[in-house]
Amino acid sequence: MARFTDDELMRKVQEGFIVESEADMTETYKKALITQLTVQGDTELMSAPAYYMATKDAPSTNTMVSATAIIQDEMGHANIAYRLLEDLGVDRDELLYERPPQKFKNPYGFDQPLVNWAELVTANGLYDRAGITLLGDVHRHTSYGPLKRGLVKVGMEENFHLRHGEVWMRRLCEAGGEARDMVQAAVDWMFPMGVEWFGMPDEKKHHNAQLDFKLKGMTNDQLRQTWLKAVVPLCDELSIEVPAHVNPDTEAVELEFEFPVQYDPDAKHWLLDEPITWDQVWDRWRARGPMNEQFVEWMRVSRYSVEGLLEA
Amino acid sequence: MADGDRLWEVFARRKRADHFEHIGCVEAPNPDLGRVYAWQTYDEAKWFEMIVAPRDAFHPVNRAEQPFTLHPSAEALT
Ligand SMILES: [Fe+2]
Ligand SMILES: [Fe+2]
Repeated sequence: MARFTDDELMRKVQEGFIVESEADMTETYKKALITQLTVQGDTELMSAPAYYMATKDAPSTNTMVSATAIIQDEMGHANIAYRLLEDLGVDRDELLYERPPQKFKNPYGFDQPLVNWAELVTANGLYDRAGITLLGDVHRHTSYGPLKRGLVKVGMEENFHLRHGEVWMRRLCEAGGEARDMVQAAVDWMFPMGVEWFGMPDEKKHHNAQLDFKLKGMTNDQLRQTWLKAVVPLCDELSIEVPAHVNPDTEAVELEFEFPVQYDPDAKHWLLDEPITWDQVWDRWRARGPMNEQFVEWMRVSRYSVEGLLEA
Repeated sequence: MADGDRLWEVFARRKRADHFEHIGCVEAPNPDLGRVYAWQTYDEAKWFEMIVAPRDAFHPVNRAEQPFTLHPSAEALT
């Protein structure tokens, strides 16, 4: 290591230099990359138990096949991130099996239960859209060659997840009645969750190593706006209400509540008229959502039983 | 990586006349499971041909670094 200084590497990657191995990195670069890949791997991995929970509600064998295919994809995406981490000297077994569940870096949204088919497809429509927004940006801009290549597969598959979500949201909405109401109920709690997904606003976050080292290209607010510009018109088209609208003059999406706000995880309900500080958001994230421990446990539960059989 | 696992680099090509591309990597204790994991994990295309090879079968020719960003601590495991 230390082929370059931080400043030299920052300048080089902004000029298009692609990092291919540890020899090209600085300690700061490596640290930022490890954080990014851990968030990525944990998010992919923890989407699997959340989706699995709702897949039991699939309305037919065909839909169950497509839902489990999505889960299988997510496990594959997690594998890509964790493999890259191993190549940076991180111990995957420690990450997966020995970390306290509270230390997983997946977004708060994947600490929540998904309890029916409408919630699953809305998650595909909103959360997989968030995934595409974030990882699409990484794919276009990252200075880390192995990640850029690994994300080709991820992007192709995420587009399928998104299509699955949007097609099914439309189908349920067109059916009307209770089906439509279930989509509205799902969007009611998942939409603000998606807004929060992109993290602190730019004005609160001054220094960003991931941007400096070109591990991503867009800021939190730019990514959030990209997501909003896809999700809000979709909901408008489906006549699903969201607390946001497109400003016809600027074409930007504007929120109709003072973000961030209080959330009641037991009731799955946002208190849109109770604004909170980002410190309070961090406290809620750190306290974790209701399914955090159980989702990690589901992923771990069979490991030792099979290992025991192999050793017997 | 679990005890006894090796790294298997995965190469594939979509159709005849295509070049092989390095598309990823799996961990498995033997080539048979490596083949199964590779085929099931990298199922994003209808590949004409897919092959796996252990990472430690690759040797750099013109560069000092190991290919596929092999980490020194991972080297001991392959
Ligand atoms: Fe994914
Ligand atoms: Fe996905």
